[in-house]
Amino acid sequence: MGRYVVRRLLQMIPVFIGATLLIFLMVNVMGDPIAGLCGERACDPATTAQLEKEFGLDKPLWQQYLTYMGNVFTGDFGTAFNGQQVTELMATAFPVTIRLTIVAVLFEIVIGVTLGVVTGMRRGRPVDTSVLLATLVVISVPTFVTGLLLQLLLGVQWKWIKPSVSPDAALGELIVPGLVLASVSLAYVTRLTRTSIAENKRSDYVRTAVAKGLPRHRVVTRHLLRNSLIPVITFIGTDIGALMGGAIVTERIFNIHGVGYQLYQGILRHNTQTVVGFVTVLVLVFLVANLLVDLLYAVLDPRIRYA
Amino acid sequence: MLLEVRDLHVEFRTRDGVAHAVNGVSYEVDAGQTLAVLGESGSGKSVTAQAVMGILDTPPGRITGGRILFQGQDLLTIREEERRRIRGAGMAMIFQDALSALNPVLSVGDQLGEMFVVHRGMSKRDARARAVELMDRVRIPAAAQRVRDYPHQFSGGMRQRIMIAMALALEPALVIADEPTTALDVTVQAQVMDLLAELRREYRMGLILITHDLGVVADVADRIAVMYAGKIVESAPVHDIYKAPAHPYTRGLLDSIPRLDQKGRELYAIKGLPPNLTHIPPGCSFHPRCPMARDVCRTDVPPLYEAGEARGSACHFWRECLHDH
Amino acid sequence: MPEQPYEPERAVAGTGMGGAMDLGASEAVTLEQGPGGPEGTGPVGRPRSLWSDAWRDLRRNPVFIVSALVILFLVFISLWPSAIASGSPLTCDLAKAQDGPGPGAPFGYDGQGCNVYTRTVYGARTSVTVGVLATLGVALLGSVLGGLAGYFGGLPDSVLSRVTDIFFAIPVVLGGLVLLSVVTSNTVWPVIGFMVLLGWPQISRIARGSVITAKQNDYVQAARALGASDARILLRHIAPNAVAPVIVVATIALGTYIALEATLSYLGVGLKPPSVSWGIDISAASPYIRNAPHALLWPSGALAITVLAFIMLGDAVRDALDPKLR
Repeated sequence: MGRYVVRRLLQMIPVFIGATLLIFLMVNVMGDPIAGLCGERACDPATTAQLEKEFGLDKPLWQQYLTYMGNVFTGDFGTAFNGQQVTELMATAFPVTIRLTIVAVLFEIVIGVTLGVVTGMRRGRPVDTSVLLATLVVISVPTFVTGLLLQLLLGVQWKWIKPSVSPDAALGELIVPGLVLASVSLAYVTRLTRTSIAENKRSDYVRTAVAKGLPRHRVVTRHLLRNSLIPVITFIGTDIGALMGGAIVTERIFNIHGVGYQLYQGILRHNTQTVVGFVTVLVLVFLVANLLVDLLYAVLDPRIRYA
Repeated sequence: MLLEVRDLHVEFRTRDGVAHAVNGVSYEVDAGQTLAVLGESGSGKSVTAQAVMGILDTPPGRITGGRILFQGQDLLTIREEERRRIRGAGMAMIFQDALSALNPVLSVGDQLGEMFVVHRGMSKRDARARAVELMDRVRIPAAAQRVRDYPHQFSGGMRQRIMIAMALALEPALVIADEPTTALDVTVQAQVMDLLAELRREYRMGLILITHDLGVVADVADRIAVMYAGKIVESAPVHDIYKAPAHPYTRGLLDSIPRLDQKGRELYAIKGLPPNLTHIPPGCSFHPRCPMARDVCRTDVPPLYEAGEARGSACHFWRECLHDH
Repeated sequence: MPEQPYEPERAVAGTGMGGAMDLGASEAVTLEQGPGGPEGTGPVGRPRSLWSDAWRDLRRNPVFIVSALVILFLVFISLWPSAIASGSPLTCDLAKAQDGPGPGAPFGYDGQGCNVYTRTVYGARTSVTVGVLATLGVALLGSVLGGLAGYFGGLPDSVLSRVTDIFFAIPVVLGGLVLLSVVTSNTVWPVIGFMVLLGWPQISRIARGSVITAKQNDYVQAARALGASDARILLRHIAPNAVAPVIVVATIALGTYIALEATLSYLGVGLKPPSVSWGIDISAASPYIRNAPHALLWPSGALAITVLAFIMLGDAVRDALDPKLR
């Protein structure tokens, strides 16, 4: 197990470097990193040259990347467009997005798994067909449309929620945005659970459990669920990284000042250090979440052995 | 009588129509007796057993007629909760493929102990101790250590022993073994079969041995019931059948066993294929494959003729068949 | 399997007969391996190809028929929007801003006084173009790279696996924002280019997997033993067997690319006005959500139905091609 973790950590290094380099290149090559620094107007040539020297932009790109990454590993993520340290932005933005993600994951677990179990047990019945159709619709409607519609209905028409979230972003305010963020994944979790339950329900070991004379609830919880939820847990685990990275749309709709908001501002203002900094952390979260999921898999399924 | 199956009918609804899997099967097993149920794939031998155990998938399966009397009680009319208490404690089943029949994510100790926890209300600790005893009983080496292992960590033969241990845990009056050795290596098959026979004698259980292999039943069975297309076509004491089969299908099965004294000769095979259960041929369902078939076989369904003492054959020409041999 | 004195199980395998037994009996284990699957009806199993079997299934599937009709309709209005909508999507009259339905404008007017119906009809072209071209690009690039890596294995395969890992680690919407925020060209091409750039790893993984599976088939080994060239083996033996999963995933992906284009346009980095796109319209309508919800609802509905149609089509095709999932 220990050796496996080490190997996986080593494998993460090239992926990490590749992903951050890719973003670094995108931001640098495609954009003009100092374009946003002189306000709305373009900088004059003298200022441009001075700024380029100041930020080390006159050096070759690979050197810039190395310098940047070197700084990152000492905890220096650079300066954001408004003069704040990027780390300060992170300190305010990440807790908000993490709360949002937690709400979303809870929705996936509570609603997604429950619906999946209910439909998987009653495959082909009306309840199954209607939930299945509902999941298709949820998957098909893009998140930003779901978000706008819920905002329109719950926030504007019925006034159940405030249409935009306050800067504190308390947990209670994040319930609807969390649901929006979770929506597509929630539908996938439902379908995945349903398939998994329906498949395992016909399995030999469930039949054995029935033949042993176990009560129905014991057959379902101890034998059927335990096995069926393994792939679901894996999916939810890997989804955490995707949710945090995908929060950008939800955060924009509900005006939540989280990671997505800061990234959006950074992109609009072509602030390299904000964008690359935040993406670097997101990539790390994604990679670590994946590693943890793989390790969890071995705990849940004794047939998996890592060496 | 321990178990009596009376005129059992089971059908399955499929996309291609209603499949008549079991069409009026009757058999009985007495305490301490071994009944071997023989037949090809799709003959309904496993479906009958599943109906007896109460583990038929419904839907698509449906019991459309008949009675199943266990110790005098009709299992098809009692409540599911009573039925559940009988499963595992009164009757138990051994499945063909222990690797898929055992839960892959629970230790074998948990799965064995579960029987005692659920049916006997034992504590987990006591149940674990009983699980070790059981594993010892079926001769699994180092049972005390291996009780924590998972099914995939055992060899095929050992897994099937665990399966047997699980079935015998509560010393049920009846055990149904559905092809218990088919998935095993030939060398291990005999060991597992011997163990099963030995334990059956010791506990004086009734045993229904489902198999497609006439070779294994000769030593262990008291009676044989041969099934074809959801019906019993011949039923007889084991030695009578080996001496002289009273049904051309049974004879076909016997002739297709390779024998040392006929080495070098071409092996006999029954021509044709088992019938499609959604369209079972009229008359005797075996007639399209039968070397003795005549016009009457195409139209008249043969009843189970009394073909001697404690012996039945569903062939219009059972006498010919008996004497031809 | 050890030798058996008599093994009727084997005799029926592959005939597609006794379809009922796979529903409950343990006897059915070998029955399901037949090429006809548990579907067979006739007394004699007639060998059917995967594709004709799938097509037979699809024709009877209402989900497939409905989604295919929706898609045909979408393609039609992308080619000839003027057939069902008069006027230009760019002719707007501020005096009519936020008005409800009127003559020639069954969906009403948006915040700029543009005819919502006309704009919704014309928006289909953008979505279908982006979806189809991005999918073609992704499928081609992904299956060629993934297929070659899966077939040849070794170093190129490991490199490709790591590269796909890198792409998977970057959140898609984020990548789109970064890349497209600096693009000034207001055509569909940068959007398509971005989708191909970030989408191919998904297909390449699928293609790689199915090529590796197909490669192990006996007839491929046989072809190799007979001295067939790599190109011939890949094209004649492996591609036809590996292409099904790619088609399924690509069809579903087509729907998600359409949604992605709208999302990027909503965020302001995809297409920009004066292009006509549902994403732009939804984005433009969201400030007027209180007074003119219809300007938001119609393009949203059109978008949702389009994406739904492609996802349902993909679902139906997958069900037809993979009998195991039934």
